Amino acid sequence: MSLKNDAFPSSAAFDAIAASLSTSDADRKDAIKKGGTIFAFTLKNGAGETESWYIDLKETGTVGKGAAPEGKKAGVTLSLSDKDFQSLIAGKANAQKLFMAGKLKVKGDVMKATKAEPILKKAQTQAKL
Amino acid sequence: MSFMGGAECSTAGNPLSQFTKHVQDDKSLQRDRLVGRGPGGLQEGMRSQAMGGGQDNMMNEFLNHPSQLPQGPNPASPFAMEQMRRELERTNQRTGSPAWAAEFDPGVQGPAAMDPGMQGPRSAGFNPVEFAKYEHMNNINATARAASPSMASQAGMMGYQRPMYGGGMGMGMGGMGMGMGGMGMMQQPYQQPIQAEGKGKGRMVELDDKDWEAEFAQMESTDTKDLDAEANAAMEAELNDMDRSVDNFGDFESVWRGIQAEAQIGRQLADEETFVDGMHMGDLDQWEGFDGLNTHSAMRDPQLGEYLFEDENLFKDVSNPFQEGVRIMDEGGNLSLAALAFEAAVQKDPQHVEAWTKLGAAQAQNEKEQPAIRALEQALQLDPSNLEALMGLAVSYTNEGYDSTAYRTLERWLATKYPSLIKEPLSSGADIGFTDRQMLHEKVTNLFIEAAQLSPSGEQMDPDVQVGLGVLFYGAEEYEKAVDCFGAALASTESGTTNQQNQLHLLWNRLGATLANSGRSEEAIDAYERALALRPNFVRARYNLGVSCINIGCFAEAAQHLLGALAMHKVVEKEGRERAREVVGDAVNEVELDRMISQNQSTNLFDTLRRVFSQMQRRDLGDLVGPGMDVERFRSEFEF
Repeated sequence: MSLKNDAFPSSAAFDAIAASLSTSDADRKDAIKKGGTIFAFTLKNGAGETESWYIDLKETGTVGKGAAPEGKKAGVTLSLSDKDFQSLIAGKANAQKLFMAGKLKVKGDVMKATKAEPILKKAQTQAKL
Repeated sequence: MSFMGGAECSTAGNPLSQFTKHVQDDKSLQRDRLVGRGPGGLQEGMRSQAMGGGQDNMMNEFLNHPSQLPQGPNPASPFAMEQMRRELERTNQRTGSPAWAAEFDPGVQGPAAMDPGMQGPRSAGFNPVEFAKYEHMNNINATARAASPSMASQAGMMGYQRPMYGGGMGMGMGGMGMGMGGMGMMQQPYQQPIQAEGKGKGRMVELDDKDWEAEFAQMESTDTKDLDAEANAAMEAELNDMDRSVDNFGDFESVWRGIQAEAQIGRQLADEETFVDGMHMGDLDQWEGFDGLNTHSAMRDPQLGEYLFEDENLFKDVSNPFQEGVRIMDEGGNLSLAALAFEAAVQKDPQHVEAWTKLGAAQAQNEKEQPAIRALEQALQLDPSNLEALMGLAVSYTNEGYDSTAYRTLERWLATKYPSLIKEPLSSGADIGFTDRQMLHEKVTNLFIEAAQLSPSGEQMDPDVQVGLGVLFYGAEEYEKAVDCFGAALASTESGTTNQQNQLHLLWNRLGATLANSGRSEEAIDAYERALALRPNFVRARYNLGVSCINIGCFAEAAQHLLGALAMHKVVEKEGRERAREVVGDAVNEVELDRMISQNQSTNLFDTLRRVFSQMQRRDLGDLVGPGMDVERFRSEFEF
């Protein structure tokens, strides 16, 4: 099952995050330890449509569509444009800078939001020197 | 203006003398602060000054109309107010400050917002005490009437500092610094000597802004309950102070003292360790990795422990394993084999620094970072000034995210190679904070730049310095500069350790990795190809190539490269068996040989490969990946 929504090109990242969480047990445990909450991402594309995804790093370490897993509530919701999310994933933008510029809106526990960035980094594998 | 000095118009009795005192205060600094300081500050000041001139004229005009000046204070004030009000409307259109207010509260229209401040009761944003004070002053005389809004709003400003400070807490130390800075800024206007120039309108313009600020402060302080009581107390004290100074209102000394006291409290708060508890700091553990980059873990020195040797080493009976290893490396042979050879060498002679260094280098190139770091640390314990080991270690630390350790390692490298540049003692290995890390990075970078300037520019520069600088920029994510440095190292004709013929592939790979991490995957692939052309067995470059393929969405190619890398690890097994038979005969059984590479597995390669398969929607293949996997099984699906 793909999490990607073709109207949101950047949503492929959720597949990548899901892959990184599901492939390595150690990675997943580490991510749950570091995240500790349910992150919801609400993306808005060029056409003005919005769509949500969640990354549950509270218990299961899974990624899915929708604002939160069934029967649960997201601890923090990050809203941003599809384009900004793309650059965030690619490491070209910095979450703090986006936040300062008002391009990233955070609802819920802001402290937790600071932990979203290392999670997103998982979508991008770093090359080594 | 003699009428003001007359007996019937004593200072206390004549509101106009009070009035002029107020309207003649230069408030340009106060307003400028609101409009915006910084680089434009001077300009703002000049503009205000020019404007002040115009207002001065109007003021004189106003004062020179004796016929319009009635005897009693009360008839005077409506006129004055009306005049001011009209003036204000004009001023509002000219200054930036209403825009500022409007930006934060679109509901507040400049002139309209002033009305409640000027006239009847306005309870909205003020607590009863303040309001009572306001009412009281309102009744004293017209002087106080003109003055009180601004006074009240000064009190409001006191309150405003508080929540801002509290908010700063929420934002961490950086934010707190901001809060303190803000305070300093607020103090400044009062610090300035008060120049007597007609600036009545300046004050009135401030009114609505500050009014808003006061309301804002009120709202904020209900949120920060802990601060509320304190803020109220401070506000009240402030008001009392001002109450006393009503008849001598031009004197801002008391206000200034109040602010100083306020700042004092702030500083004490910051000093007290217990401030954590009262400030809604949240759980302390939440501050772990607060900057979102896990720098906390990166600040600590990695504790990896001793190097773990392979249980079985087919080189252990070879007479000179070190030579064997060097030969394999130089021939571009299999890196796992080379690593085994060096392991055998250091097991024979644990003091063999060069063997440790080469072992680290081989493991790093073999995409086995942790063993590489262990080996290099061992080498440095034996010889703290081994340049090659230092540089290799810095690179490995950077890869693993131990940034500050990497910076310190580079500092040691520089201190060894260019001792003349080191003027202060080297940084200690103690835990350092986030800002310290930035400073360390800056310091080491500056040292490297100095070192680069020592050697002539162009092709004669020291390539090693360029590589070090490149690693530094890479660590700080300044990839453009890092690319420049690695490029320069490649171009340099001077021979250093890093651009020897047998090290060039490393440079190409570093260039490629930097390009890849800055989002230039296509260029990176080109660089990797060059590295692989030099050394087809360079596992790390192959791994990086796979990573770049993932990042541009070519999963099939990525899988090919990663499988290829794994296949190279496996070669040990095949070649090993043959060699083992040569060396020890047929005594070694198959199971033991299978375990041979068990110690230093590269989980990195497995994880990345599994990720590729799951992104290809081939979970079935992903399940096959893991230690002891049979790479040959994938040959039916992929070419590698």
